[in-house]
Amino acid sequence: MQVIIFRKGIFMGDFGGLGIFFAIALIFPVMALIPAFLLQPRQPTKEKGIPYECGVDTVGKTYVQYRIGYFLYALIFVVFDIETVFLYPWAVRFGQLGLFALLEMFVFVGILAMGLWYAWKKGALSWK
Amino acid sequence: MISFVEMMHLALHVGLPHFLLLSAVLFAIGLFGLFTKKGIIAVLMCIELMLNAVNINFIAFNHYMPATDLSGQLMALFSIAVAAAEVAIGLALAFRIYHDHHTVNVDDLNHLKG
Amino acid sequence: MNFLAIGTEIAIALLMLIVLAADLLLPKDVSHRRIGVISMVGLAVILVYTFGQYHIGASPTFFGGLFFVDNYALFFKQLFIIGMLFTILFSLEYTEKLLRYRGEFYVLLLSALLGMCVMASANDFITTFVGLELMTVSFYILVGARMTSEDSSEAAVKYLIVGAASTAVMLYGMSLVYGAAGSLVFSEVCRNIHLFYAAGLAGVIMVIIGFFFKLSVIPFHMWAPDVYQGAPTPVTALLAMGSKAAGIAVFMRILYTAFPILGNFWLPLLAGFAALCMIGGNIMAIRQTDIKRMLAYSSIAQAGYMMVGMAAADLAGMKAVLFYAMLYVFANLGAFAVLTVIDTERGGTSRRDITGLAQAAPLLAAVMTISLLSMAGIPPTAGFAGKLYLFTAVVERGYLWLAFVGFVMSMISVYYYLMVAKAMYRDLTPEEAEYAAPVYVPLTVRAAVLVSVFATLGLGICPEWLASLTNAAVQTFMR
Repeated sequence: MQVIIFRKGIFMGDFGGLGIFFAIALIFPVMALIPAFLLQPRQPTKEKGIPYECGVDTVGKTYVQYRIGYFLYALIFVVFDIETVFLYPWAVRFGQLGLFALLEMFVFVGILAMGLWYAWKKGALSWK
Repeated sequence: MISFVEMMHLALHVGLPHFLLLSAVLFAIGLFGLFTKKGIIAVLMCIELMLNAVNINFIAFNHYMPATDLSGQLMALFSIAVAAAEVAIGLALAFRIYHDHHTVNVDDLNHLKG
Repeated sequence: MNFLAIGTEIAIALLMLIVLAADLLLPKDVSHRRIGVISMVGLAVILVYTFGQYHIGASPTFFGGLFFVDNYALFFKQLFIIGMLFTILFSLEYTEKLLRYRGEFYVLLLSALLGMCVMASANDFITTFVGLELMTVSFYILVGARMTSEDSSEAAVKYLIVGAASTAVMLYGMSLVYGAAGSLVFSEVCRNIHLFYAAGLAGVIMVIIGFFFKLSVIPFHMWAPDVYQGAPTPVTALLAMGSKAAGIAVFMRILYTAFPILGNFWLPLLAGFAALCMIGGNIMAIRQTDIKRMLAYSSIAQAGYMMVGMAAADLAGMKAVLFYAMLYVFANLGAFAVLTVIDTERGGTSRRDITGLAQAAPLLAAVMTISLLSMAGIPPTAGFAGKLYLFTAVVERGYLWLAFVGFVMSMISVYYYLMVAKAMYRDLTPEEAEYAAPVYVPLTVRAAVLVSVFATLGLGICPEWLASLTNAAVQTFMR
């Protein structure tokens, strides 16, 4: 029985080994944490309960609003970042595709450049 | 009645049904969150979950398909790009309704009715 | 690669980039009317070009048949271009006065138009999806384009959430269809018998539900009234005619070319939902006081009428749908041109805002009345001919009850359309004397409404001209 279960190809598909690895990896931190949890002395004080901030007392509220500038950058980044998804398949097959695909990609990047020009001109890239 | 051995076999061999199950569960979680969540950011995250479930479906089907066609992967690419555009607009609108209505709670947007 | 086949789309994309560049090069504080004029001239040229693309023989294709430019697609493209052209014409003043980002407005209108044109030609699910998303993503922004209005942002958020969720549902359906049928091309999907398995059927149902959301078919309509009311008035016009017609164009192609073997399953479904739309849309429209909101419910009912023609599922039904979609564009143009002027001058579109329009602007009151009568289907307007085609087509296929429901509901719709006419034409009480003050009607709006009225009446009196065009449009479809 033992032999059958662990022989590769019957039970262990591509991901069977990964699953066992994952299970073993899970055991180690649990083994380290459970004895600590059982053995630790519990003496909670107010000082110990406050959030840890580099050993000094916290100043002000921890919830702060970020500047809108970050947000605009993030938006523009997300959009342009995702467009590279179309560049990868093209780059992988670049050799076989030839001149036509190269021109197509220039058109694609050109349209993206229009978008960048727009963002620039409207002041989305300047830090106000 | 399937034996223990066969059950283990099904559980450990990752195949098409596992991917479909994963994507169905993801889609269901997204749909559930869409109906229960109130903040617009959470709603957008749920929509993203649903769209990613679709991507898993497409790529899994494409991988296990006998014929060599790549339209499933192509569709996933387009779906990723479109999802990014939708989320960019969604975030901009979240900022806008916070400015206009001082809330990001979708349920509080009830001015339009008749 | 036959680039002439996608000439229309390339031209629209180029026009969009030119308009974007013009907006960036133009100083901020000058009038943006000239940008609108550039886009209108461009669209007019493209419209003339599309007439030359009508053909008798084999239809040109692109991307190995994934992009299909048959007469059917051409007809719908012309419909979108006409709708967009006249919407820009009558909204020049509105854009200039009420919108902050005017250049972007025109760019987004053109990108929405590009999406619609791609949808009309789509012959596989990828092209459908890309076109659909290009259109709806542009509309999400357009709906929220009125920066000073809180209703506009609320409508945009609602549209985005419902639209994105319905996209996800439709995509999930497409993925299941892909898994079952092994292809995303319509003609390959229809050949695969595996579509009959549970996964395939679930996929078909989810795709249909996704389209029902986009077409705001009852019971998936809850977003439409809010979005129509909150959106800027020209955008509402485009949602009602362009977005809906584009949805119908691609939905009809998918049903007839991708899922024809499941016809026994979706035909009764379609007939049932058509009846539901006609009944629900017309009854809920009665108690609306905001005209835009009323037209939203009315557009749900109009989608119901068009689905009646789709339920007939033959050439006569298709011709009727095409005819009706085109006349609905002209009726909508008239009604929304008037509403746009009212919105600009009086700051609202409720029934109170149109009071006394007969004295303030007799032309607009007359145009509004004729357009609404066309939507109700009263002779001699085009709406009558359109409904006649639709109902005869469906009766010949045995759905007598559906035609009966449609007829009764058209009669009911006359009531709320005439309520609007009554508000415009009734005598004013002394307190309301201010409503009789003349309303400024720009020359561009006069031109747009006159074209819409002539088209509505002309197509009502001699429908043969458009009927022959629809005839040519469906001839190349079933090959």
